[in-house]
Amino acid sequence: MLSPSHPLQLALGLIVWSAWFVAIYGALSVGCALAPPDAELGARTWLNGLLAALTALTFAWLVRQAVVCLHATRTGTAGSPQRRFMMPLSASLYVVAAVSTLVIGLPVLGLPPCP
Amino acid sequence: MNTTASEEQERLHAGFHAVWANPRGWRALSLVNHTTLGLRFMGTAVVFFLIGGLLAMLVRAQLALPNQRLLDHELYNQAFTMHGTVMMFLFAVPMLEGLAVYLIPKMIGARDLVFPRLTALGYWCYLFGGLILISSLFLGIAPDSGWFMYTPLSSNVYSPGPNSDFWLLGITFIEISALATAVELVVSILRTRTADMSLDRMPLFAWYILGMALMIVVGFPPLILGSILLELERAAGLPFFDVTRGGDPVLWQHLFWLFGHPEVYIIFLPAAGIVSTLIPVFAQRPIVGYRWVVLSIITTSFLSFGLWVHHMFTVGIPHLAQAFFSAASMLVAIPTAIQIFVWLATLWTGRPLFRLPMLWLVGFLVVFVAGGLTGVMLALVPFNWQVHDTHFIVAHMHYVLVGGMFFPMVAGLYYWLPHVSGRMPSERLGRWGFWLTFVGFNLTFLIMHWTGLLGMPRRIYTYGAGLGWDLPNLVSSIGSFVMAIGIAAVLLDIALHFRFGRIAPPNPWNADTLEWATGTPPRMYNFASQPGCATRHPLWDQPELPESIADGKHWLSIFDHGRRETLGTDPVSGKVREIFHLPGNSWLPLLIALGLAVVCISLLARSYAIAALAALASVTIMLRWSWVNGLHPAALADLRTQLGDPPLHTHTFDGPGRWGMGVTLIANASLFLALLFGWFYLWTVAPHWEAPAASPLPWFVLLPAGLLVTIATLWLRRIVASLHRGTAANLQMQFWGVAGLGLAYVAVLVQVLSTAPLSATLTAHDAVITVFLVYLLLHGALASILAALQALRVRRGYVGPHAPYEPGVVGAWWLYTLLTFWLTYICVVLFPVGWGGG
Repeated sequence: MLSPSHPLQLALGLIVWSAWFVAIYGALSVGCALAPPDAELGARTWLNGLLAALTALTFAWLVRQAVVCLHATRTGTAGSPQRRFMMPLSASLYVVAAVSTLVIGLPVLGLPPCP
Repeated sequence: MNTTASEEQERLHAGFHAVWANPRGWRALSLVNHTTLGLRFMGTAVVFFLIGGLLAMLVRAQLALPNQRLLDHELYNQAFTMHGTVMMFLFAVPMLEGLAVYLIPKMIGARDLVFPRLTALGYWCYLFGGLILISSLFLGIAPDSGWFMYTPLSSNVYSPGPNSDFWLLGITFIEISALATAVELVVSILRTRTADMSLDRMPLFAWYILGMALMIVVGFPPLILGSILLELERAAGLPFFDVTRGGDPVLWQHLFWLFGHPEVYIIFLPAAGIVSTLIPVFAQRPIVGYRWVVLSIITTSFLSFGLWVHHMFTVGIPHLAQAFFSAASMLVAIPTAIQIFVWLATLWTGRPLFRLPMLWLVGFLVVFVAGGLTGVMLALVPFNWQVHDTHFIVAHMHYVLVGGMFFPMVAGLYYWLPHVSGRMPSERLGRWGFWLTFVGFNLTFLIMHWTGLLGMPRRIYTYGAGLGWDLPNLVSSIGSFVMAIGIAAVLLDIALHFRFGRIAPPNPWNADTLEWATGTPPRMYNFASQPGCATRHPLWDQPELPESIADGKHWLSIFDHGRRETLGTDPVSGKVREIFHLPGNSWLPLLIALGLAVVCISLLARSYAIAALAALASVTIMLRWSWVNGLHPAALADLRTQLGDPPLHTHTFDGPGRWGMGVTLIANASLFLALLFGWFYLWTVAPHWEAPAASPLPWFVLLPAGLLVTIATLWLRRIVASLHRGTAANLQMQFWGVAGLGLAYVAVLVQVLSTAPLSATLTAHDAVITVFLVYLLLHGALASILAALQALRVRRGYVGPHAPYEPGVVGAWWLYTLLTFWLTYICVVLFPVGWGGG
């Protein structure tokens, strides 16, 4: 587990977001190629469910990481100026990644996957 | 130089000048100094800009009136293709990289970039690639398929001439340059900031350039791969994009826009860096929300990779997928908006001085915000469909690119001109230039939005009268010529100021960043001593710093060892860790670039034997480059350091080469992942994809190769670990052993490649597998050669427990070779078995 002040925390949230983004686009393409759900089912398909679950899990993990960094920011007392700079920045970037995941993932609830 | 400089300053300057001065005459071709090379980059980019601008004038002259016959359709296709290509690849990116090459070391308090020979190689590749591309214009065979070269239009069937080849080979050449420079900038920013310049004190411009450079590292390789694949299809018949043989033309679009959309932000980020640097200076107060800006830079650097499909909304992908990309396209506006509010707040709370650079910044804010708003409109799928391939897109793109890059760049040019020349530009001529450009630009492109909404498609060489397009086109053309006059006034102002400009006082704008402590014009070594940086605004908080730097009162003020050196610091805290000794002037970069140019021209002429020979020569010179390194006497004659100084990096485990290798491998991984994407994409989507019933690569065929590369890599890691412990024995023999295993690995791959029943020209399936095998082969061959060179270097005494640095760098390459082998094995050999094909 990376410490909340580790510099990689600055990128990790958005790296996870990128992986999630590629995963849902890839899963959608492969799902539609292999076993396209019936268009009449609308958004209530196994594929939408899978994508929504992936989105929810990613969102939850990103929020958790944001909370960890934020908590470290508030409880850290004698940290160096760099730590005081990095930890809130990392927390904000996790929030950005989480919100991006949620906003981009929301259409999964309303649109059919393949048409 | 300041005429009141003390004797000590004179002594230091003479000493450092002897070590760092550029050679003169024809030997100037061998110089590697970042200041000169940055200026060469920018000067060359301006020449290419003029060519691109002339092409734009031709296009606008042709479209000024209906049924115009100034250009025929063939010439028109070449003109608009080359205009876009030149402006994007030969002007925008190199210009901004040139500015970064010039400024970054000075801003972070370093003496040079960390790989000076790489800077030179980047420049020469850019120059030769650009010349090759431009030569096609004069030969009348310039690329004519549009700047994004969509297949099948750019494929053999519809573009049988060499036009597309010029684009594919020339642009790849130029992208090597961009990548080389990007790698160098990343490592320089992370590892050569001056003492105590922690991340939170780093100038915002360096944050922006770090973001831009990392985006180039990740974003350019997919296009390099795409260009290689398309050239292989055109020259050797491997059908990656040919739908009848299992390929898919849409794969090209994915590979292109995986690069192409981030490219917009690659251009915008450094320009925004200029804005974030200049606005606080002219508002005379620190920027409001430094951390918000850093947050926006990092966010933009990532989110902009999630938008590429919004260029492909009309190709027929599922609505849900379009919704993903539509949402991401809207999200990316938020970090940009944050920066705009930060700039406005800084101006609001400061006392802005409306000098010439500020005028261009205000122009930027107006034009770019308009471009950003039409960008949000285009993120909406139905609207995007409606205006797809119309002049609305052309107008939007110019608002974003000219507003987001050209206006801030001219602001930056005016701001840093006194730094380059020691003279001030003319405010009057400069203001004329601005207003003519601003009015001309809006006349051209604001009107063009309506032309697009009236339905005029882009890329048509003429149109009939009476469609409602006559007047707006005429206005746009008049506007474009007004804009051209404005730009000519700016260029004239810049040219005249070198002769007639008023002598600039030191730090003429009262700036806060360290580049103004180098003297104007700057000395080749930048700083006679490298200062500690206790604040984000060193020159505001310590105005005496330029004097004390010139007096040699800070780090590394000794020159009698005769080596070029700069501080190596911790990437986060900026604490001093090593001294990086840097190579001096060298002919090798020019020779390598010349070799690559011969490769490029030979491929264009389909003279493959000459191309192979030139490639071999280039690789040989590259190996010579790697040989003259570290403790080689030509690289480091004098090992002395002062008492209390940190060690030379060759005596540690963590020098610039390790970081350079790491960043290069990220670029390499991006290319490899793009290849994997292509493999899975074709497997899933290509309508005529055919996987044979029996795989041409059964699971057991490649296993011996896997075993060999695994053992060799583990062995090398053991060697590195023993060096860390200081207990290395029989080093030379061990390296020979690793090289031998590598050679055996290569032999197995050659055997597989020559005996496997692959029909690379008949099916895309086999073509992709062939590319995978060649990729592994090349990596294995280079890994073996590098291990063998380490053995030779141990024998010469350049590597050993006293100099343990290099094996770790080579070890990273081996580890990458190992990982890509097994990933290929899983995806190309095992995956088809699980899928049920092959």
